[in-house]
Amino acid sequence: MRAIHYLQRYWQLYIMLLPVIAYFFVFKYMPLYGVTIAFKEYNPFKGVNASEWIGLDVFRNIFAMEDFYTALRNTFLLNGLDFVFGFPAPIFLAICLNELKFASFKRLSQTLLYLPHFISWVIIGGIMYQLFATNYGIINLLLAKIGIAKIPFLSDSSYWLVTYTSVGIWQSIGWGSIIYLAAMTGINKELYDAADVDGASRLRRIWHITIPGIRSTIIVLMILKIGDMVDIGFDRPYIIGNVMVRDVSDVLSTFIYRVGLQNSQYSTATAVGLFQAVVGLAFVLTANYVSKKTTDESII
Amino acid sequence: MIRNRRTTWFDVINLVIITCCVLLCLAPFVHIVSVSFSSGSAITAGKVFLFPIQFTTEAYSSVFNDKSMLRALGFTILLTVGFTLLAMLMTTLAAFPLSNGKLKGRKAVMLFIVFTMFFSGGLIPEYLLIKSLGLLDKMSVLILPGLISPFSMIIMVTFLRTTIPETLHEAAEIDGCTHFGKLFRIVLPLSLPVIATLALFYAVGRWNGFRDALFYVHDQNLFPLQLKLYQMVVNNMISDITAIEGAEMKKTISESLKAASIMFATVPILIVYPWLQRYFVSGMTLGSVKE
Amino acid sequence: MKAFRKGVMQWFLVCMVFALVLVGCSSGDNSKSEESGESAVSKGADTNVVEKPKERVKLRVEVFDRGNAPEGVTVTNNEMIAYIQKNFGDPNNIDLEFVPVPRTDEINQLSVLMAAGTAPDVSFTYNSGAVYNWAKQGGLTDLTQLLSENGPQLQSYIGDAMNYGVFDDKQYAVVARRVNLEKYTSIIRQDWLDKAQLPVPKTTEETYNTLKKFKEMNLGGNRTFPLSFALTPDSYEPIIWSFIKEQSDEARYLRSVTIGSREYPILADGHKDGVRFLNKLYNEGLIDPDFALDKDKKKKEENFVNGYTGIMTSDVTQYYFGGEESQVNQLEKNVPGSSVTPLLPWTDFEGKTRQPAYTPSGMYIIVPSFSKRSTEAIKYLNWLAQDEVIQYMSFGEEGVHHDVVDGFPVRNGSDADKKLLFNTGDMLVITNGIDFGSAERNLAYNGLVIDEKHRDAAMANRKMSSQDAVRQPIAFDKPLDSEAKNSTIMLEKYEELLVKAMMAKPDQFDTVYDAALKDFMSSAGNEVIAERTAAYEAMNK
Repeated sequence: MRAIHYLQRYWQLYIMLLPVIAYFFVFKYMPLYGVTIAFKEYNPFKGVNASEWIGLDVFRNIFAMEDFYTALRNTFLLNGLDFVFGFPAPIFLAICLNELKFASFKRLSQTLLYLPHFISWVIIGGIMYQLFATNYGIINLLLAKIGIAKIPFLSDSSYWLVTYTSVGIWQSIGWGSIIYLAAMTGINKELYDAADVDGASRLRRIWHITIPGIRSTIIVLMILKIGDMVDIGFDRPYIIGNVMVRDVSDVLSTFIYRVGLQNSQYSTATAVGLFQAVVGLAFVLTANYVSKKTTDESII
Repeated sequence: MIRNRRTTWFDVINLVIITCCVLLCLAPFVHIVSVSFSSGSAITAGKVFLFPIQFTTEAYSSVFNDKSMLRALGFTILLTVGFTLLAMLMTTLAAFPLSNGKLKGRKAVMLFIVFTMFFSGGLIPEYLLIKSLGLLDKMSVLILPGLISPFSMIIMVTFLRTTIPETLHEAAEIDGCTHFGKLFRIVLPLSLPVIATLALFYAVGRWNGFRDALFYVHDQNLFPLQLKLYQMVVNNMISDITAIEGAEMKKTISESLKAASIMFATVPILIVYPWLQRYFVSGMTLGSVKE
Repeated sequence: MKAFRKGVMQWFLVCMVFALVLVGCSSGDNSKSEESGESAVSKGADTNVVEKPKERVKLRVEVFDRGNAPEGVTVTNNEMIAYIQKNFGDPNNIDLEFVPVPRTDEINQLSVLMAAGTAPDVSFTYNSGAVYNWAKQGGLTDLTQLLSENGPQLQSYIGDAMNYGVFDDKQYAVVARRVNLEKYTSIIRQDWLDKAQLPVPKTTEETYNTLKKFKEMNLGGNRTFPLSFALTPDSYEPIIWSFIKEQSDEARYLRSVTIGSREYPILADGHKDGVRFLNKLYNEGLIDPDFALDKDKKKKEENFVNGYTGIMTSDVTQYYFGGEESQVNQLEKNVPGSSVTPLLPWTDFEGKTRQPAYTPSGMYIIVPSFSKRSTEAIKYLNWLAQDEVIQYMSFGEEGVHHDVVDGFPVRNGSDADKKLLFNTGDMLVITNGIDFGSAERNLAYNGLVIDEKHRDAAMANRKMSSQDAVRQPIAFDKPLDSEAKNSTIMLEKYEELLVKAMMAKPDQFDTVYDAALKDFMSSAGNEVIAERTAAYEAMNK
């Protein structure tokens, strides 16, 4: 009886979900059988299903490679740096923009700040070298003029990490702030008015109204980011990286490129991908659980 | 949002920070613009940085005279608009029910979707699926496979959960509103900032995307602008290709033409932003709903 | 405000309707296309079974898309294709369909097309490892029989290069010819030599002393890098090879490794001396200290055209001379009074100018095993090998697309020429470069393409490129698994070895070099050398 009553009230919502579930089933779940080639000696001409099972051999090979562990460590290292410095940066920028007094300048700067998002890494790579080269890069030439010694931005591992992180922030800060700006529009204006009446300082207003207002957005994005901890884009480390810093710039995506795709070793590439997926899913579910327990925010 | 108050040191510092960020973000773009207006020899000599050297508009005239570029632009606009509308529709259809805390099975569906963020079948199984669906070389192949981004959907769910109060749902139900009615008459108008944001994400993603077209489309009429651009910019950049092919094959595309094409492909999508921007500059607050 | 919100509502509703229409359209579209696809397939199958050659069939041919088609034409629809259809297609009852594959993603694309069974009937790639893998996995048609039946002209045109396509005694690929085998060329700043009152150096020692002198005199200003250098093969290969003391095939089989299309004599006697020499050049400031960051040679070219470089070495493809935008022309524009002279800067222990050259083979043309048009594919390639077809597809018609100069057809650069011949090299897949019958004539032809001012220098330069040149890589009777598997990792480790050893302090060179070599060997080198040794022994049984 209660079930019927429930359905009477909610059947429309299930109807809405039908095309959604159909979409995910067809486009995301149907090709999933392809994951099995991580356990197979894949022969493309026999197809995925007819290829021979070889158990965990592919994984054994990968786990025996020293480079795999270096790549794994570097993936966590670079993503960790991005998380610590790159994640808060757009929040900071969004707050600054929100506090900006001059409306027209605010609109203009918002438009300009997201320009770097539109420049592909290939092009950034070309400019990087002109800018950051140790001996004749523009920045070092300028530094030399004011008497500062050359800084090996690209050729020393620790400086390279700084360069990598800052270029990442530069590229994504404007674009990343959009989501927070949108969330800030949901904050009730009356709260600000009340704060004004109380004579609260700007910093206090930010701390007590703005940040709580976008809190759930921050937490949700943080959970998603944690899920991506083991997943890393290819272009950025590959293009900014160079031979001299390979001990920190070689990550899982470049590792896959090197051992897998370049020579059509799909089993290896798929196996590393599967490893990343399992770790990523575990991370995101853990983060979700912890967040649910401590802040009551969650994505699932 | 900010009332008339005195300009304080806070505003000054804030202004300085933003100005610095803006200049940093602007510089490489100015560089590309300069390259697009410079002569080939000045570019190879590494003289062009923030100003055009030996000013010329030759690159732009050849871009605008190339009919295939213009056609690709038209096609890409159509594609982006169509994709964005459909994607927003699907994302809304997913996010609205899932934001309702009383819906049974909500968690299972969320897990079902989140799972796909991490696992994918890989290039070849996906290609075979597209092939068996008969989508190869169709415009729909550039639309259907990417219709819902779980990321965007989760953002929307969060937004709906935090901004639309439970009382509003209940009030609507008492009024005898159906869920569809509620979605269109109450929820969507309140969600314009998030709709604008996600539409921007989808539109930009589609505009800049070319990897799917690279594999699924061989018909030149269905080439998005970015695919043409990619071929221009990346071709000949791989020195191995020129080395292996030998002298006969070498055809370089001038740097200024590349830069002009980048501008040609980027500016249209940049125009969209200020238009969407007003939705998150002037906030929609609950207070104004009552008007 | 209210009206505005209403407007947005309407906007959204319109969108929804539009979206629904789109869904409807696209699904309708699909079903139709699937039908037509099916019928096309079944038609094809029918003809195959009944073996009626009179019935019209479809032959699919790959074509590289470089995104450089001139206005108004595409790689799949142009005059050249019309010519092929008219002269080959129609008389044989064949419809040709050209399938574009982006040049830069070529191997990934072809891999997917092969795996999905949709690769064109005539496909090609430069990647020998991939071709060998496909052959091993049963993905390629054995062409031995077909060639002897349908490809007599093709076989005689390609000649010896055909052997590169034989794996395990079967002809799995038709290998295109490569006509011009010169690989690297060097030029020196003549005006610098004059200022330093030095002759053109003829040995490694003289070259080294000249570089030193250039640096001392700071002839390019404070930023003088006497020798051009980037982290690319055209910079290090010529120098390394001039230090190798072992010349025998056996040494090359057992102590070199092949990475991609190049041979690296990593264990050969002299390799370490070569790297040590590079270390000296680096530590004495004779090359750009930022060379390791220059992955695409951009900086190297920039240094040269701005007049910072004394000796420039580059691929023959990166021709210094040639048109307006060529490097030498730019240098002469940027640095008034500058001029260049060709030279061979490096000599080996016997005083010879040993240097790398290409093997006479180009790309691998294959017919997938699932292709039902293998006979037509070979017929097509055979048709391409006819003299008049080669002539037309490379040069078009006299007076329209080319002029005859000194008995050679020289393309006239007109719009008609560009429209017909913009991708001639990609259409005439059976050869890389045009053969005029002899080395002298080929050289003379290559000179005609250069403007007169630089013609003599360019021809002298090309001639030097083949002096004491050794064709590389030395090939086994089939590609090696370990090399195919490890090509990228070996290249990265080799670059690491070069950079670390070159940038080491001279007294630490030995330690750094040995450690880097050990790393190279343990990550892939040992596996490759072991397979090479086994393959070499098997070959000599």
